[in-house]
Amino acid sequence: MRILLVEDEAPLRETLAARLKREGFAVDVAGDGEEGLYLGKEMPVDIAVIDLGLPKLSGMDLVTALRKEGKKFPILILTARSSWQDKVEGLKTGADDYLVKPFHVEELLARVNALVRRASGWTRSVLECGPIALDTTAQTVTVEGTAVELTSYEYKVLEYLVLHAGELVSKADLTEHIYQQDFDRDSNVLEVFIGRLRKKLDPENALKPIETVRGRGYRFAIPRSA
Amino acid sequence: MGLRAEPGSGASDLRVERDAPAEGAAPAPRPHARRVRQPVSLQTRSLAAASIALAAFLGLSGFALDQAFYESSLQQLRDRLQGYVWSYLSGSDVTVSGRLVLPEFPPDQRFDRPQSGLYAGVAGKGINWESPSALGRKLPFDVQLEPNQTRFVGPVETNIGGVYVFSQGVDYAYGDGSKSVRLTFHIAEHESALERQMQVFRRTLWTWVVVLGLLLLAVQLGVLRWSLTPLRRVERDLGRVERGEIEALPGHYPRELEGLAGTLNGFIESERWQRTRYRNTLGDLAHSLKTPLAVLRNQLESGEDGERLRAAVDEQVTRMDQIVAYQLSRAATSGHSTFAAALEIGPAAEEIVRSLEKVYADKNVLCEFEVDPAAAFHGERGDLMELLGNLLENAFKWCGHRVVLTARRAGPIGARRAGLELQVEDDGPGIAPENVERVLQRGVRGDERVEGHGIGLAIVQDIVKAHRGELVVDRSPELGGARFTVVLAAG
Repeated sequence: MRILLVEDEAPLRETLAARLKREGFAVDVAGDGEEGLYLGKEMPVDIAVIDLGLPKLSGMDLVTALRKEGKKFPILILTARSSWQDKVEGLKTGADDYLVKPFHVEELLARVNALVRRASGWTRSVLECGPIALDTTAQTVTVEGTAVELTSYEYKVLEYLVLHAGELVSKADLTEHIYQQDFDRDSNVLEVFIGRLRKKLDPENALKPIETVRGRGYRFAIPRSA
Repeated sequence: MGLRAEPGSGASDLRVERDAPAEGAAPAPRPHARRVRQPVSLQTRSLAAASIALAAFLGLSGFALDQAFYESSLQQLRDRLQGYVWSYLSGSDVTVSGRLVLPEFPPDQRFDRPQSGLYAGVAGKGINWESPSALGRKLPFDVQLEPNQTRFVGPVETNIGGVYVFSQGVDYAYGDGSKSVRLTFHIAEHESALERQMQVFRRTLWTWVVVLGLLLLAVQLGVLRWSLTPLRRVERDLGRVERGEIEALPGHYPRELEGLAGTLNGFIESERWQRTRYRNTLGDLAHSLKTPLAVLRNQLESGEDGERLRAAVDEQVTRMDQIVAYQLSRAATSGHSTFAAALEIGPAAEEIVRSLEKVYADKNVLCEFEVDPAAAFHGERGDLMELLGNLLENAFKWCGHRVVLTARRAGPIGARRAGLELQVEDDGPGIAPENVERVLQRGVRGDERVEGHGIGLAIVQDIVKAHRGELVVDRSPELGGARFTVVLAAG
């Protein structure tokens, strides 16, 4: 998941960015509204977290500008103002959720995950495809009820594929949305990840959850249960 | 108190503004270089209007009286001159030979005295007589009139000035009555007599007009001062309120000022109330922050190890955050206000529900409105948003799938502003009757331990209290979950 974080307060921005990276997000950070708008337009962002009080371009204006650009990714706004009038204003400009400062990072992560999931059309926090179930809240994976140990990058790859279950996901898409920096597309790192995932999810090679579409990418082949 | 009446706005301090010519070449913008011209005072306005009306009225009356007197004087003059004509006529005779014989004694001594101003003359065929007073004067006595024809003219310019002339033609029979002679009698009087009369009259008339005018103006001024006294009193009382000598404007103003005084008192009261609230909120905030701060200090001094200290700090930070959020919202509550516009419930609720539907998209909540279009909230928009926002969010949080918002008018129909009943119901687990008190108590007092959900309801309670309403929590008979009813009184 590629997340855009726009926050002018450096300590908060850096702590949050570090935490999000640890959680397996690819993070683009901006310290002001204009930079945020540039990144929002140029990067394949999956979700944005935007502070309302930003220099150069206010958070409200940034949200409005992004929506005007046709960007549909979910937006979570951060605000120090907790009155309903402010909340309603923020959500009216096109944001999808708000979080009042100060907040717990866990709360932010839960909201972000929920927004990402919802944006892909999943309504419940547990993504189920046949025997495979991803708990996006706990970030755990079970196959037929048995827990599977995944690294956070493996989890993010799987989550991205499951969120787009049934759809073709190109290698470029995956690298863009999972990795911090673009790297050599010919590198077989991704293939190594996919290979490991297949082995962990389906040691007997009976489910065949991840399909390789030759020359184009991957597809999560088990249809959604819910 | 932001209100300040301009003192001493009498007629004397009417300021005429002039742009002072800029000195030197530098056109630096000077602050307050041009003062706004003060409107003319009430007293000056009334006096100016009354003076103009009075002057016009008295002037016109004087003029009319003058005209009337002139007309009647002229008429009198004519009658007098005619009387002289008749006297001459009756005293005159024409001899058999046709010679005119005038009376031995004239009707007035002045006809015999030269330059007396009163002249007589008779003109006819071969007859031309003038009274001794007319000697050497050129009077217009040569006009011939038909018998019984009369004429009154004047002032006619002659060598002795303007004169008024009355003439009458007669057919004078003489002898045995078979002969007659046509004569015209003229009586003339110098205009100075009439002028003198008019002068005397005018002097008296205009003296009295001016005296009367001044008198009326004085009365007007008195009346004005008397009727503006209550305004001065309001001003003085406001000054006393400002200095804190009295709490509010005392009653007993004239009917026209009662509304103003009431409104001002409303302002004063709401301002004082607001100030008290701010002070209380500030006090509450400071006091309630002291407890977590004390806990933190104790934890620090007790030498706790890292993990437990971290947990303690986190707990106290959360607590302080909630205290700040709650007190901030309390300070923003404006409460019952005398001048609030009526706000519609529908649009505000619509906005909030649209927001909540985004935030609670996962729950797929079906929110129904039963909003009476006549239902209105009298207060600040912020208060209404907090009320609806917190009640609806609470319902969205606890409901299964359904939330119903009902809004209707409450209280007597005839009230100046209708009351309001807001009801939010959900199909969640509801609140057991024995727990209602606890749920409502939570977070009501700033220094108490407040938990996440409590703040919203505490804010609702605060707003309801500020609007002198009440909040009832029970079970929804229709949906089975909790039902929150807010009733704001009519007023």
